[in-house]
Amino acid sequence: MSHGMKTILLAILAVLGFFVPMILGGSGAVYAACVLIAIFAVMSYGLDMIVSDLGEVSLAHTVFFAVGAYTTALLSASAGFGPLLSLAGALLMALLVAALLGLVTLQLREFVFSLVTYAVAVVAATVAQNWSFLGGSDGLRGIPAFEISLLGFSARNDRELWPVAYLLLLAAIYVVSSFRRSRLGQAAMMVHLNPRLAVTSGVDPQRTRLQVFLLSAPITASAGWLYAYQRAYISADVLETYFLILMLTAVVVVGRRLLLGPLVGVTLILVQEKFFSFGGYVDKIILGSVLILTLSFLPSGLVGIFAPLRTLFARRQAPLGKPIPERS
Amino acid sequence: MNNRPVLEAKDLKVAYGGNLALDLPHLAVRERELVGVVGANGAGKSTLVNGLVGWSRGTPKISGKVLLDGRDISGLPTHERVRSGLLLIPEGKLVFTQMTVEENLSSTSDETDLGQGRRRYSTDEVYGLFPRLHERRHHLGSQLSGGERQMLGIARALRLGPRALLLDEPSIGLAPRLVSTVLDTVRSLVDSGLTVLLVEQNVRAAIEVVDRLVLLERGRIIAEGPAADMRDDPRIAEAYLGAHVA
Amino acid sequence: MNLTQQLVNGIVLGHAYALIAIGWTVLLGVARLVNFGHGQMYMLGAFVTWYGVSRLGLPYIVSIPFAMLAGVAVGFIMQRVMLRLTLKQDLVSIMIVTLGFGYVLHGAAALTFGSTGQILETPLSTQDIYWGDLWFTYQDIAIVIVAILFFAALKYTIDRTRIGRLARMVAEDPQLAALAGINVKRVYFGVFAFEGAAVALAAALVAPRTPILTSMGFDEVIVTFVVVVLGGIGSVTGSYLAGLALGLFTAFFGAFVSPAYATAAAFAVLIAVLVVRPGGLAVSPGGR
Repeated sequence: MSHGMKTILLAILAVLGFFVPMILGGSGAVYAACVLIAIFAVMSYGLDMIVSDLGEVSLAHTVFFAVGAYTTALLSASAGFGPLLSLAGALLMALLVAALLGLVTLQLREFVFSLVTYAVAVVAATVAQNWSFLGGSDGLRGIPAFEISLLGFSARNDRELWPVAYLLLLAAIYVVSSFRRSRLGQAAMMVHLNPRLAVTSGVDPQRTRLQVFLLSAPITASAGWLYAYQRAYISADVLETYFLILMLTAVVVVGRRLLLGPLVGVTLILVQEKFFSFGGYVDKIILGSVLILTLSFLPSGLVGIFAPLRTLFARRQAPLGKPIPERS
Repeated sequence: MNNRPVLEAKDLKVAYGGNLALDLPHLAVRERELVGVVGANGAGKSTLVNGLVGWSRGTPKISGKVLLDGRDISGLPTHERVRSGLLLIPEGKLVFTQMTVEENLSSTSDETDLGQGRRRYSTDEVYGLFPRLHERRHHLGSQLSGGERQMLGIARALRLGPRALLLDEPSIGLAPRLVSTVLDTVRSLVDSGLTVLLVEQNVRAAIEVVDRLVLLERGRIIAEGPAADMRDDPRIAEAYLGAHVA
Repeated sequence: MNLTQQLVNGIVLGHAYALIAIGWTVLLGVARLVNFGHGQMYMLGAFVTWYGVSRLGLPYIVSIPFAMLAGVAVGFIMQRVMLRLTLKQDLVSIMIVTLGFGYVLHGAAALTFGSTGQILETPLSTQDIYWGDLWFTYQDIAIVIVAILFFAALKYTIDRTRIGRLARMVAEDPQLAALAGINVKRVYFGVFAFEGAAVALAAALVAPRTPILTSMGFDEVIVTFVVVVLGGIGSVTGSYLAGLALGLFTAFFGAFVSPAYATAAAFAVLIAVLVVRPGGLAVSPGGR
């Protein structure tokens, strides 16, 4: 397929995607599910870059999600900022937190890196539950409706919020796909697959890791921004493990480094939870089991089952984890 | 000398990512025989001994049969081949560096009945064979010299009750004087009843002690015969002994 | 504020922390594996003990091995599922899988035991001891004694017995261990079973100190992480000392600053250590 053809096809797909909730009947429940899918997919795309391209596991991405949501809640409810200004604030805060975390963990690799990020997430939850500035265990209420007076746009329900959610999703996908084609994306893959070669080719692994981290955090934070408006209140439950497991599962279940992988993954999970739920606890067991079974038995994801199809859709195969270099 | 092979390989093939590194239709080592495997770097010498125990630090594909005393052991995982008496002393890291000499020589298995032709050497016996190890018994593996590590590697294998011993380049990195000490020890082990397959790149030293010599090139055997005959083989003489055969 | 009382609290807490972390220390030291489901295994151990005592009417002393067996079973299943990843030493995937296991355990426990808090009452936890103006329970004494015995026995096993030597050989070099006739897979299974049993024992002893919830386990992971890293990865003696230090720190920080942020503060200390000497974290094989 030529590049031009591909672009046109993608454009058609992007336009068609907007009408999906209408095609599915356009009920309130469908719109609600679609908006959430878009938000959680954007959240997952941030982590996707770290896991699939950089080959590390950040367990602190729930923190970026929470930073986006809390910043939005504080700026909109307390300071009276509109959505665009609070988006800017959310992105800025996420960058700040990511820079801090990135600098602290710069020297750490593999499981120590993951342990520290996981600990950051757990500690962040404790802080959010106890710090009255963030509303403590009550959370922050009174987030106003999504209204951009400059454009005369206002969204009071999920149906009206859908265009915003869909635009955000397209933007996230665009950023990830541009990233993969960019020099930074190539450098990240090199650092992931062959650090020694990367260094000899003039790539600075630490710098690359920090840059990817800084790019990935605002993506996840932007999902938190919209989530704050969608829910109209924010509490420490945005830091629950659920979001972490959701992101990780979405990133690995379909197949890594597939552009639409996280979106399809989130869709599968949310459709199950919203329309075929067996109750919260059983859903937990299902989601966790999917994550376990995928990584243990389907290293290339669901796509791996349909091996012939894979050649059509898959980009370069990349193992998620490298074996540890031998100790001798 | 009994003619029945102790160790036999049939159609042994080892491939790394599609590249055939070893293609061995047949190789046999008889009771109380010391067979030397020689060849250039990358000829597949280490691949051969590693393949016999199904062991590697990479992930090769191994096919073919390995027989120990006529019993097919190629379906067994490495540790079980080791337990049935086929012991490899690998090249490179061959002792536990974080453990003392004594701990390295401690038994890893408590089986007492080893079966025909096998005997577990006692600690005193291996110390008698390598007095140097006795002197250094409280030192860590990491504190040993190259020669001492080689001795410890062999001693460790003897403690496990070998039926056949596979030695991968024991002379590598050793001073010339030590090379002959180590090889002489191997020879005396064979004379006292052991069966050994010895990989050596030092052909000049190896040819002095082995009964039979196998020459490998690009994963295949290109010459094979009694050491005395092979000494005059032009492929050996020219390439490895530096002599021109008239 | 009574300083001596805080010292007593810190010592008890420290032994509790060391006991909670020991399974992970061995797991990391011997098998170079991590388990993010550790906290949920702790939770499960606490609930199985509670179930044995208050639902089945078993004596506390019988409920403890019962919980440990459950821990062994969970560890065994985890290792069976992850075996391919373990042998490949694909740590990144292992981390995520164990995180998934923790999540599943949480869901399963909430389904089985309900999501309301419970009190695990034991014959020891209800008996107070007053000594001057100091206060503690027999449960606290049991924690300290069991922790010391457990660590001593473990240290002896690793340094002096055949099993310990096998584990150290696998820790240093699994491939060379196979050439020594060691069944490496079996050692990995054993280590995971030990981790399950050890954390269940810790839970059975420590959980009676506070109400138990199926959603707990996160603090325990952080505590374990701090103990394992500060103690020197894989070091048994180091874990004991680090656990004790962390316990004292938590007790005093909780008393003088804020109990809610005690875990966060411990973690902040760790971060500081990590930033100052990231190289000090190299895995030292041997599990000593």
